[in-house]
Amino acid sequence: MGYDGDLAAVECRQLTKVFRRLLARRTKAVCALREVSLTVHPGQIVGLIGPNGAGKSTLLNLIAGLIFPTEGQVAVCGHPARSVAARRNLGYMPEHPVFPGLHSGRAVLRYHGALLGLSAPTIQHQVEQSVQQLEMGAFIDRPASEFSQGMKQRLALAIAMMGNPRLLLLDEPSNGLDPVGIVQLRDLLKQLRDAGAAIVISSHRLGELEKLTCDYLFMHHGRILSFADKAVAGQTARLRVELVSGGRRVAETLLPTSQVLDASDTALVLAISDPDEVPNIVANLAQGGARIMSVLLERENIEETFLRLCSEGT
Amino acid sequence: MRAYELIKETFLRRRSIAVIHLIWLVLYGLFWWLFLPDPEEYGRFLLLWGGFLLPLALSAGILGDDIASGRICLLVTKPFWAGELYVYRLIGLSLQGAMQFLLAALLVFVLHTVTRRSSVSGLGLWLFASWLLFNTVAALSTSVSVVIRRVHNSLLLLVTFLTGATVAQILISNLSNHPLGTVVAGFFRYPFPPFELLRHLAKGDYARESLSLGGWRIPTSIACVGHSLILTVVYAGAGILLLTRRQFSGPRD
Repeated sequence: MGYDGDLAAVECRQLTKVFRRLLARRTKAVCALREVSLTVHPGQIVGLIGPNGAGKSTLLNLIAGLIFPTEGQVAVCGHPARSVAARRNLGYMPEHPVFPGLHSGRAVLRYHGALLGLSAPTIQHQVEQSVQQLEMGAFIDRPASEFSQGMKQRLALAIAMMGNPRLLLLDEPSNGLDPVGIVQLRDLLKQLRDAGAAIVISSHRLGELEKLTCDYLFMHHGRILSFADKAVAGQTARLRVELVSGGRRVAETLLPTSQVLDASDTALVLAISDPDEVPNIVANLAQGGARIMSVLLERENIEETFLRLCSEGT
Repeated sequence: MRAYELIKETFLRRRSIAVIHLIWLVLYGLFWWLFLPDPEEYGRFLLLWGGFLLPLALSAGILGDDIASGRICLLVTKPFWAGELYVYRLIGLSLQGAMQFLLAALLVFVLHTVTRRSSVSGLGLWLFASWLLFNTVAALSTSVSVVIRRVHNSLLLLVTFLTGATVAQILISNLSNHPLGTVVAGFFRYPFPPFELLRHLAKGDYARESLSLGGWRIPTSIACVGHSLILTVVYAGAGILLLTRRQFSGPRD
């Protein structure tokens, strides 16, 4: 992907991860990730997309240095994952954030600021900034153990953002957030990206990822099915042509078989790779005697792209 | 700042920590009040109750709770050596032990002054020996907590110690006149938390003894303290090694 010349925020080379239980047979081993290579540059948002068990969280955990790769290498801002230098550049938000029982939300933020090695005034400033940005003022002084899922997510995001890391790893960040929270999260991530942070998000909410104008990594069975930026992901489009009658005959006589996705007497669904082809196709159909009622260009959304890739990959 | 927060967390990580401290203090007072023990009896009670059971109660799930809940993932992605997490947790436990024994000493002193009953002579040495044992058991329990989830580290150690002590007692008494007896006694005495050695130290049995090491004469009491500290460091070292080499994950869906 682009941004050549910049120091990559994440560089994964031929990553393979096999989970094997102690004393278990080799046949019981689970290969969660197979030969995955990935580069993420500053100012880039990459969305990991895949069904449960696709390897998204495993990939995030490897980048965060929580687990060791069976094969391959991971570097964060040029440093090996799990090294202290790599962690200086890292903000991590787990899927199920847990906080110490007796601490208020504010104390949790201060605690994590201290763990980052920030000075007391910096911690104070960052806590106030996070409370304001994520609108946590109403609940930040309550015990964190009593927080709802949405409040926990906001607090976890605030923790991940502390110290202005160059790389943010977010595992299902919109879980439990209300619609307003989701919009705030999206705006915040765009601001961070514009400030030069690299962001890797794992999410099942494909619609949310789509609105983030990020690049997508489609994963299935531990492999990368496709690596596509937004333009490429949306490139595959369909043309829906409504006819008065004779749709099947028109499809057989006027169009190549590979282009016809679906044909009925009153409607045709055609695959097109370039929207500029539409006038020619319509003119061709009209000249061939097709009585066209309407023409609609439908772009494949990210969900459809993912489902198509999954069906092609399995 | 980091050290302070990680040490403070050992006090605040569970509501039960404060309750445990309170219960233990009440029991120190009750034992004195009800049984009017002589200093040796009270010292043995301190060694067992404060030196052995207290660290097990305080260290239950000290790392295992975080590992089981997935909170450890937030801690070990921070920019510091993961071993620091272990070291500061152990220091936090050790400080809690020191605080507990100081409060126990104060309590006994007040009871003795008010009631004018029993004696407090030699109690300081018993408290010191109990704190040494506390540190050794706390280090062992914390290390076990790296690999055993939740509070099972303390339960496992309690059962293992009770079983091990019974087996050791049977073996040593049956082999008392056999050459193997010394080997078996040594096996149980040196690599495991040194109840027996510290009991002798606190009783003053080693006050006039010394060991020869090369051309040097070392007082046995100093060697006994050194042995306890070395064991603490060895147990902690094993735990740090395990912590820095293990993998972590959050709870599964």
